This record gives sequence, C-alpha cells and structure tokens, in this order.
Amino acid sequence: MNPLTTLLLATVVIAMAVLIWWPERGVLARWRKTRSRAEHVYREDALKHIHKSHISGRRPTLESIAGVIHLSLNETAAILADMQVDELLRIAEGEIALTAKGRESALHIIRAHRLWERYLAEETGWEEASWHGQAEEMEHRLQPAELDALSAQLGFPTHDPHGDPIPDRTGQLMAYDSQTLTTLDADTPARIVHLEDEPETVYAQLVAEGLYPGQIVRLIGSSPERVRFWAGGNEHILAPIMAENIHVVLLPEMIEVDLDKKERLGSLPPGATAEVVALSPTCRGSERRRLLDLGLTPGTLVQAEFQSPGGDPTAYRIRGALIALRQEQADRIQIKRMEA
Amino acid sequence: MINNDKHADLLQTAKQLRWQAGQNFHDQLMEDIYAEAARLADRSVTRPDEKPRFDLDRTIDQIVTHPRWGFLLMILLFTLVFWITISGANVPSGWLATLFLDMGHPWLKEMSALIGLPWWLDGVLIDGMYLATAWVISVMLPPMAIFFPLFTLLEDFGYLPRVAFNLDNIFKKSGAHGKQALSMMMGFGCNAAGVIATRIIDSPRERLIAIITNNFALCNGRWPTQILVASLFLGTLVPAYLAGFASAMAVVGVALLGVFLTFAISWGLSRTMLQGEVSTFSLELPPYRPPRVWQTIYTSLIDRTIFVLWRAIVFALPAGAVIWLAANGTIGGISIAEHMIAFLDPIGWFLGLNGIILVAYIVAIPANEIVIPTILMLIVLSTSMGDAGAGTGVMFELESGAETLSLLQNGGWTTLTAINLMIFSLIHNPCSTTIYTIYKETGSKKWTLVASLLPLALGFVVTFFVAQIWYLFAG
Amino acid sequence: MKLDDQKQTPLPCESCPVHHAGNLMKLGVDMTDWDFVVALAGNPNTGKSTVFNALTGLRQHTGNWPGKTVGRAEGGFDYDAHRYKIVDLPGTYSLLSTSYDEEIARDFILFGQPDVTVIVVDATRLERNLNLVLQVLQITDRAVVALNLMDEARRHHLEVDDHRLARDLGVPVVPMAARHGEGIDLLLKAISDVANGRTVCRPRRIQIESPAVQQAVTQLEAELHDRFPNLPNSRWVALRLLDGDVQIAEAIRSGELGNLNRAETVSQAAEVAQS
Repeated sequence: MNPLTTLLLATVVIAMAVLIWWPERGVLARWRKTRSRAEHVYREDALKHIHKSHISGRRPTLESIAGVIHLSLNETAAILADMQVDELLRIAEGEIALTAKGRESALHIIRAHRLWERYLAEETGWEEASWHGQAEEMEHRLQPAELDALSAQLGFPTHDPHGDPIPDRTGQLMAYDSQTLTTLDADTPARIVHLEDEPETVYAQLVAEGLYPGQIVRLIGSSPERVRFWAGGNEHILAPIMAENIHVVLLPEMIEVDLDKKERLGSLPPGATAEVVALSPTCRGSERRRLLDLGLTPGTLVQAEFQSPGGDPTAYRIRGALIALRQEQADRIQIKRMEA
Repeated sequence: MINNDKHADLLQTAKQLRWQAGQNFHDQLMEDIYAEAARLADRSVTRPDEKPRFDLDRTIDQIVTHPRWGFLLMILLFTLVFWITISGANVPSGWLATLFLDMGHPWLKEMSALIGLPWWLDGVLIDGMYLATAWVISVMLPPMAIFFPLFTLLEDFGYLPRVAFNLDNIFKKSGAHGKQALSMMMGFGCNAAGVIATRIIDSPRERLIAIITNNFALCNGRWPTQILVASLFLGTLVPAYLAGFASAMAVVGVALLGVFLTFAISWGLSRTMLQGEVSTFSLELPPYRPPRVWQTIYTSLIDRTIFVLWRAIVFALPAGAVIWLAANGTIGGISIAEHMIAFLDPIGWFLGLNGIILVAYIVAIPANEIVIPTILMLIVLSTSMGDAGAGTGVMFELESGAETLSLLQNGGWTTLTAINLMIFSLIHNPCSTTIYTIYKETGSKKWTLVASLLPLALGFVVTFFVAQIWYLFAG
Repeated sequence: MKLDDQKQTPLPCESCPVHHAGNLMKLGVDMTDWDFVVALAGNPNTGKSTVFNALTGLRQHTGNWPGKTVGRAEGGFDYDAHRYKIVDLPGTYSLLSTSYDEEIARDFILFGQPDVTVIVVDATRLERNLNLVLQVLQITDRAVVALNLMDEARRHHLEVDDHRLARDLGVPVVPMAARHGEGIDLLLKAISDVANGRTVCRPRRIQIESPAVQQAVTQLEAELHDRFPNLPNSRWVALRLLDGDVQIAEAIRSGELGNLNRAETVSQAAEVAQS
C-alpha cells in the first residue's frame, strides 16, 4: 500500500474521531445536546423568561420569548398556545402572564438551575465560566425529589454562586431591591449582589475582571462610552453595556469603606508579615475548607517566606508550619499588612 | 422506615436552626477552634526571646529553592541517584542472572529429568514459569533495591517536597500538581511504585492525571530493552567512535519524549476528561529531619521493593506458563504463537514493527523485562533455526551483541523496526502489575481502562506515523 | 494520674471496655482476641507512624511527607496483662471537611468508639495540631495526647509545659520523642490508665463566640440529649448537623447514631457479670 495514502487516510480517521468524540464540543456531544432540546425544554425556557421579565419589571413579548428559545415567531406562538391550554399562562390583550401553576414550574426551573450552579461551584472542579451553560442543560432534567436531595447534600444553600437567591421547595424567593451599577451615583459605596450570567460572554468577562457578589464597589464616573469604578481594591473600566449586568445594593452609610487598602496575600513580598482579614467568597468548596483547615482564619498572622524559583508558588509560614500556596490561591485571601 | 419518621422532626429542627446559625457557620467554627488552639498553645509554649541568628532549616531552604542553585542541585542529586542505581545494579544483576538462569535453570532441568517429569509439565513449570520469574527478579530486583532506598532517604530528609515546590510552576502549566514530579521520578524506577506514590497528591483531579500519565516515565524494566536495541541498531549507524554516544543519546531521547508526553497528556486530560474533577492545591514543606539511614533502607526494602517485586512475581508466573504454552501448544501442526504472529504481521507492518514484537508485547504484558527474551525465542521459533537459543519455547538472551544482531536481522529487523520498538516500548499499555495497582488506587474500572488504553492507542498512532513517513522517504 | 479535683462521676464499670464491638466489626476490626482498641490520630507528618511502630514493634515506613499513611494500619501490644489492638488512622489536619481520609478517621472515632484515642501532636507546631486535638475531644472523652517531637522542640529552643497543657485540655499529655524511644513507657501507662478507667478525662469543649450560633447549638444539643440521652457527644453531633453534615444526618435517620451509647456496654458488662 502506498504510504502516502495510508498517511492521509489515518490523518482523516484521527481527525474525524477527534471531531466526533471530543468532550463538550465534539459532534457526539453536540448531537446529545440538541436531542435533549425537546418541546418541554422550550416550554420551560419560555416560563423562565416570562418569570424573570416580570420580576425585573419588563414586559415579556412574543418576540422576546422567541429570541430566548431560538425559534421562529410562528413556532413560538404555537408553543405558547399549547401552554395556555395547559393552564401555564394567560394571554390577554398582548399581555403574557403566568398562572399559579406556571409560576410554580418557573420557580422549579430556577431552583434547579441555581442549585446545580451551586453544586458545580462546591463539589466539582469545573471552571466558573462553564457553570451557567451546564446548569442550562441540567435544569430541564432534574426532578423536584432530586433537587431536594441535592439541596440536602449541599447543606440547603440559600444563594447560588452568583449571589442569586435559590427558591426553596415551596417557591419562596428572597428578592433584592437592587439597581444596576450604571444607575449608581458617583462615590456612593454599594455592594454587588448579583452578576447577570446571561449573555455568557459578558459574564465571563466580569468574572475575569475579578468581580463577585459581596464585593464593595464605588463608582468613579460614567460616560456613554465607559464606566469607571473601584471594586476589590482595583480600578475597573467597563463598557456601560457590561456594567449593566452588575447589580448592586446601596450600603448603609455608617459602614466605613476601605476599598483601597485591601491587599491580597499574593502581593505580600517575601519577608513581610500580614494578618488575614478574610477569605474571598470566590474561594469555595473543598478549596475553602482546606485553607481553613490549614489555619487561615481571620486574624491569623502569615509570613511570606520564600518563592519557588519559577516565582510561583510561594511558601508562607502559617501557624508554625511552612505551607506553599499558588498565586491564585493567595489572591483569594485578603490581608492587612503588619508593620515590620 | 419507622426510624425515618421518628427522627425526621429532629432533622427538621436542625435545618431551621441552620438558618439561625448562618451561611458561614463552617468558617466561624473553624475560626473559633483555631482561636482556642492559639490560646492554649500560647499558655503552654514558651518561645525563645530572640530568634536564633542561624536557622538551619531556613538556610537549607534558601539553598535548595535558590533560583539557580536550586535547580542545579536538583539535577545533580537526581543524576547521582540514577547513576548509582544504574551502575550499582549491573553487577548484582549479573550475579542473579548467573545464579538463576545459567546455573539454576540447567540444574532444575536435570532434577526434573531425574524424577522423570513429563515433558509438558517440565516445560510449563521450568521453561515457562520459573524462567520468566527468574528473569523478572534478576532484572528488576537490584535496581529497585538501590533506587528505592536512595529515594526514600531524600524523602525522609524532607527534600522531596522542596522538589515539588521548585517544579510546581512547570506542572501547573499543564494542569498538574508539582508533586507529580515525584511520582514521575518514582515511575522511572517502577510505574507501579510511581502510581502508589501519587497518594501524596490529595487533589482528585491532579492525582488522576499523575496516575494516568505515570506510564510515560520510562521504567526500569524498559531501560534494558532501550539500551540493547539502541546499541545494536542505532550505534552502528554512526562511526564507531561515536557509537556509544549516539545510542546513549537515543535512549535519553526516548526518556525525554516520555517526559514531554507526560506534560502534553496532562495538559490534554486536565482540559477534557478531567475538567469536572475537584482540584485543590496544597503543599506542606515539612521541617528537615536527619534521616536514620539503616532503618530507612530496611523499611524501604520491605515496604516498596519487596512489595512491588512480589506483585511482579505473581504476574510473571502465569505469564511464563502462557508463553511456553503458546510456543509449544499447536493447532494443525503449527504453534499457537506462530498463528498469532501470522495474524498480527500485517498490523505490525503498518506500525513499522512485526507480528513477533506484537505477540511478545501481548504475552509479556506482566513485565517489560521479558519482552526481549520472548522476542528472541519467537524469532527462533518462527524462522525454525533449531540450533539457536535454548530449545523450543524457551526464553533466552545471547552473550554477544553481534549474535543477537544477526538473529534479529534474520527475523527481518531493520533500523525502522528498532526505532519503532523503542517508541512502542515507551508508549504502550502499562504492565499488568501497574494496571492492577492503578485499579487498586483509583478503585475505578473507567480510569483503569483509560490509563491502559490511552497509551496503547497513542503508541499505535505514533509508530504508525513514523513507519509510514519512513516508508514514504526510504521507499 | 488525676487530672482534676472535681468530683468524679463513676463509670458504670470502671474497667470494662467502651468500644462498640459490632460497629468495629463493620469497620473491619476484629476484636475477638483483644481487650481494648486504641485509635491513633494526628496531623500528617507528626511522627504518628513512628509512634505506631514504637508501640507495636512493626516496621511501617514512616516518611517525612505530609499524608503518608493512606488507609489504615493495625497492630497490637500487651501491657499490664491486657491486650490492646491499635489502629493507625490516616493523618488529617481536621475532621470537619469532607475528604476521604478525614471520613475514615472520623467514622472510626465516632462509630468504633475506641477505648482510647491517642492524638499525636508535633510539639514544635502546637497551635496547628491543637486544632485536631480539640476536634477529637469533641467526639470522644477518652483520649491521650502524645506530645511528640520534643527533641525537635528542644532543638528550636521551645519549652512546652505539658502539665499546663494537660490541665487545659483535660486529658493526659505525654511528652515524647518517639524516634529515640523517649516517653513510650509513659504513653503506654497513660493509655492503660484511660482504658481501665483509672484516669477520667474532662476534655475541653470548643467555645463558640457568636451568640446566635451558641443558642442554636445549645437548643439542638438539648433536643439531641432528649432523644438520645446516652449519646456521649451530643454537642459535637449538634455542631455537625448545623454544619450540614449529610452523613451525620443519615446516621441519625438510620438509627445508627442512636445506638451509640454507653447503655449497650453496660448491659454487656452486666451479662458478663451474670454468666
């Protein structure tokens, strides 16, 4: 056999195999995904969208629903009509409203989504940017009984990792009186309560900026082109369209905000000593428990001893023991530097 | 079921109280416990008023983690360990081979002839099981008996965690843990021991990566094959005065290819199959402690060497029997081994190998040490060179390189066969001892399967491409 | 060795073992030929295995590596006409997280109810090691602290007041340097004293700072106490429930936890006495 032919043939076969079986992005994985997009998925996505619109004071329309579930207007209308028959929603004079039954289903989906995100954050190693997409899949598969079990396993969490409240079994949802960062007055301290996880690309960028719920922010100034603000000890500049995805609540005025002084352990130079102020909320699950086990509780004195020849990790003296932490771990520990 | 109802209300109460206790209960509890621990420790420990000017631990740390000297020291130390192992193992290996193979085997044959064992029982027991086991022991035992205690001494002193510390940055880039440097190093001794050594990695994802890629560390059992083939086929390609150097470089090249694959496969795994596994990092650098030499040597011999050797023997015994039976059992007048060879020859051609090599790797799966003896035996068998070797279906090695070379060339070996055998020896499924150890350590059939088949598939791909490109240019 | 001047509540039977033979069997420990079971806990890299070897004469490899013993090693020794089985638990920093090692160690101490739990601590890093000691003392009140690596402490010019520590912790503390065989005889005696009820421990309880949490713990503990009056560690169980420990909740649901009490051993002792 001609070696050239066999080479080409083999290359093609391997390329095909990779295309087909590659996890997540392979043909097989994609086919499985689309196959699972059955009718009930469209219905549930529509319910979720209508519910979310009502909560945020927007009006759900046929167009907006069609946009969310990626179907044509006609197909969407047909699905909505079916749902009306099943008493999930009411359509009167162009207003689309959920019935009690519809709201219950919507809350179940939201609960499933947020619990699953919480699960991914606490008990797996998936990267933050992939949580939302995975939860979008799982929310249609989980049954109420499974959710109860999952909730118990996670210790009955009340919030998802983005700071969104998780409805309990009866659909009780704690609501925030939040506003977007763009509507905040300059120099008014506020706390991030939620990062909108849709669209995913914007969310990924917000995460990459190091933003997370619980952080204190202060707007420096905003123009139609860009929004400048302090958060987590750094100055951030974002396009308004992105900043709109950051939801904040005003802080009571009494709280003294020392935004700029918060330092991270990762920036402590060798030889210096610092006191642990807090572990960042982005440090979750077994990672957090491990750091706590090592004694990194607030008030602990930590001394940076020496760095690896590669610059990372760094060895820290923590309660008498020498522990090496990687840069990204150390960056999740807020410290107050001690005078030498 | 009744119990369910009896205590459900209690758990309900607990659930409600959890709201009162708050979300960060765990954090608070740890804080309280550590606060208490700090109070108690403060009350009972008196520290010296002044820090001693000379802190031995700190001084050692400054040297071993020095940006320049740290790496140099590390390379020197490990070169030393490997050099002592390789040069020190040759002599006792020779003794054991003389004792078990040159003297023990004929003696046993005489004994069996004396008590009149039937030929097939004599064959299975002595030519098969005994010989395979003796081979494994004489090749495997001496290097392990030297390598493991040396490694253990470094470990007991507290040096190895610093190696992990120094190298973590490199491993991090491929999604792995710095401690994998150590399980990999251990893998150069023996992959089964390397897999066990991954226990020090406590993050699930990184530990699986270390287990699956450990096979790419060229183990003890494979070094002799590499060295033999490189010196016979590659050393002869260059002028005589460069022969030794060229073959040594070829072997080192294969080992480095293994290191490269370790990183590449780690990188791939952490981004595909293992993405969802939990990943945490923690590395404690314990205080240095003077190692107690004799006890360390004793315990590491007991713990590691004997343990691994025992497992290898358990697998070599049945393999010996299978090899003998395959060579001597016949179907339609032709031995089973020859049937297999004929069947696998076309596949072998695609991979730049041949049927004999593939059969040898199938029957010698328990230990890489017996691959070469099996290959030699199979060549004699299939080319019907009745006078060479030690008899039908008896594994052997030849004293002189020239004889071995001519035998292999008779078996149709070319430079390509040699190169691809070296590659395939590096990239193929782990030996059965290691596979069993992987199953024991992961407790998962899935990961055992992945760890076994991934390298095999990769080996096929790499040898295939090398062979076809070779055919393309060399005709 | 008496640790406190308070009135001692007499045990139901001063010299009879407390371990739960049935549960130990489930955990893979056969107690047929043994009088007492001793668990060996401790942080990684504190010389736990060295202590184990010194007690049993076994040669288990003891590496200077955090997290060396994986799984469990067992051995035994005779002391003062009693036969002790000793179980080496995996080295852990804590018992509150959910790693596999911690689960093994925790389950053994909780469900196996060893007659004595020896906690090996590194005298040079006491603060960090006391974290585990305090946690173990929430589960069992039959413990001995082996203050190991005293030779290292001396090398670093640290003075550790073991009497003070024993008073504070409420359990015997034995200073030792297991590598050199120092303090092994004292440790044996302390183990035997606790096992035979000659020493009664009053272990330190963790102080909880937050009043809200404090109240929650007290309330839950009271309910647990009502439900299972014989449960020796209701406060710890309360803490675990508040931490959302699924396993402990499951153990309550299945009744496994409810069985853990002294009553059984007392009735066993009564049976033995009658026969």
